[in-house]
Amino acid sequence: MVLTGTVLLNECQKRLILLWSYRFNFMLETFMIGFLFVGISFFVSGGRPEPEQMAPALLGYLTWFFAVFAISDMSHGIREETQTGTLEQMYMSPLPSGLLLAGRSVASIFISSGMVILIGGILMLLLGIRIPVRPAGVPVFALTLAGLYGFAFFLGGATLVFKQVNALSNLLTNMLLFLNGSFLTVERMPGWMEAFARSLPSTQGIDVLRRVVLDDMSLASVWQDGSLVWLTVHTGVFLFAGWGVFLWGERVARKRGLLGQY
Amino acid sequence: MKAAIKIESLSKTFRSRGGNEVEAVSRLDLTVESGQVFGFLGSNGAGKTTTLKMACGLVMPTTGTVRLNGYDVGRQRGQAMRQIGAVLEGTRNVYWRMNAWQNLLYFGRIKGVSSSKLLKARAERLLRELDLWERRKDPVGEYSRGMQQKVAIAAALIADPPIVLLDEPTLGLDVQASRTVQEWVVQLAKERGKTVVLTTHQLDMAENLCDRVAIMSRGQLLAHRPTGELLDLFRREFYKLRLRGAVAAEKAGAFPGFTASQENGHTVLSGEVGDDLSVFELVERARLADMDLISVTPAEPNLEEIFVELIERAEEAVGQDGSLERGAGHRSDGVKSRG
Repeated sequence: MVLTGTVLLNECQKRLILLWSYRFNFMLETFMIGFLFVGISFFVSGGRPEPEQMAPALLGYLTWFFAVFAISDMSHGIREETQTGTLEQMYMSPLPSGLLLAGRSVASIFISSGMVILIGGILMLLLGIRIPVRPAGVPVFALTLAGLYGFAFFLGGATLVFKQVNALSNLLTNMLLFLNGSFLTVERMPGWMEAFARSLPSTQGIDVLRRVVLDDMSLASVWQDGSLVWLTVHTGVFLFAGWGVFLWGERVARKRGLLGQY
Repeated sequence: MKAAIKIESLSKTFRSRGGNEVEAVSRLDLTVESGQVFGFLGSNGAGKTTTLKMACGLVMPTTGTVRLNGYDVGRQRGQAMRQIGAVLEGTRNVYWRMNAWQNLLYFGRIKGVSSSKLLKARAERLLRELDLWERRKDPVGEYSRGMQQKVAIAAALIADPPIVLLDEPTLGLDVQASRTVQEWVVQLAKERGKTVVLTTHQLDMAENLCDRVAIMSRGQLLAHRPTGELLDLFRREFYKLRLRGAVAAEKAGAFPGFTASQENGHTVLSGEVGDDLSVFELVERARLADMDLISVTPAEPNLEEIFVELIERAEEAVGQDGSLERGAGHRSDGVKSRG
């Protein structure tokens, strides 16, 4: 327990230091992300966005931001650390790599939560959007994040082996933005696209999150209508499959000597 | 003496995208004793770094085992990793956006140092010893190359491992920084009893620092001996004949395989004396050629000459048989001989 705490604090501290060293970029990115939301909202609403209509979009958009962070961490982050040799140093740790990776992921969630609160707060303040804080949203949100990180582990494993997954991770990040139901309702999509959109991580999570947080539905009711069940199964599949792919990538990288090669 | 590193039947075969197999390390057996400075020498692609990375658990061997202070890297990974700290070549090894202090604390924690007090004390001691204390709060990216390398070495030592692996530790450093690193390597082994394994292309450095050297070529060990013994071994085989004045080319031809040079108005013929040519025959040949012989002395070979000689032998053997293994037989003295 103490070890896990130390690893977690260590990773959080490192992430904050690195974030601070890129503070100018970070500020611009925050502005860009806020601006992007406003721009898309105006476009989607035909130039007349209403705060009530924007609340579900913002909830989805902020969830998408976690996906951006997770994917960036696991693909760009790992690739960069492969190049700098710090990934090899991590693998020379006597601690299990799974623990270190989990520590990194939790640190990443903490940091991105801080950013989401900042960006979300500014947008809510400026645009008059109201998203209530409901405890029932916490487990749904946790499940959604777990699924997203499972997806990110999948990309992390692929990065360890193939290195050049930039284009793929960018494509997936953008695909998630437009297909996770943040701006375009999934139900209005053609059948095949809806099926595809629902298979992506975060789509189901955002859907259930809206019902619980914005429509004030109880956990029992979303469980009964099957949406929370589907989210749990979906998350489980992504998490275990993603973790499996990451372990596979790790093994292949060790076999081919790719941990420190680019 | 206790074995700090024990490598048994270690092989690594990489498969290229075209499906070709490249044997980077071939059935390597090696023991490095505790407290030694051990030099791994070889040309690019000889298999040194792959061997080192297998010892660090970063590359999975095709066959064989590596034990660090008795712990199997493959099966007792956690304990084995507590035995080593490594600085690998060609990469930064530490975060350049973080300062030296932050790097040492970060790597100390992921290397399992749980006591914050102990970690900070070690970090301070290392930074002071390496003259980095005053600049500990500057990002590593702003340091000189030598200082960056010092931080990487300090990060490798932060958990106080008994074995330190340094892959080309002085590559790209200026003379002063290189000297500091070398002095530190000696100090680590002699004063703190650490086992230091280093790979290098700087043979003069290996000659000065290493208690023992291993020379690798094409994944195989060509020689593995204490540095002094290796030099002695070759010292016996090489001789220098000092002759008064200039010697005509046709007369020098009486000594095939010898190289001629001029030193202070004298001609110096240097070459190998082996089974087919004794020192007495050399003297006799000089007398018959009517040469004015001043002296015959064993040449003082340096590690570079030995290295070149061994590599040439290995290349020759491959050229003749297509296989280094078949071509270079193992001499009883730990040096692979001509086939």
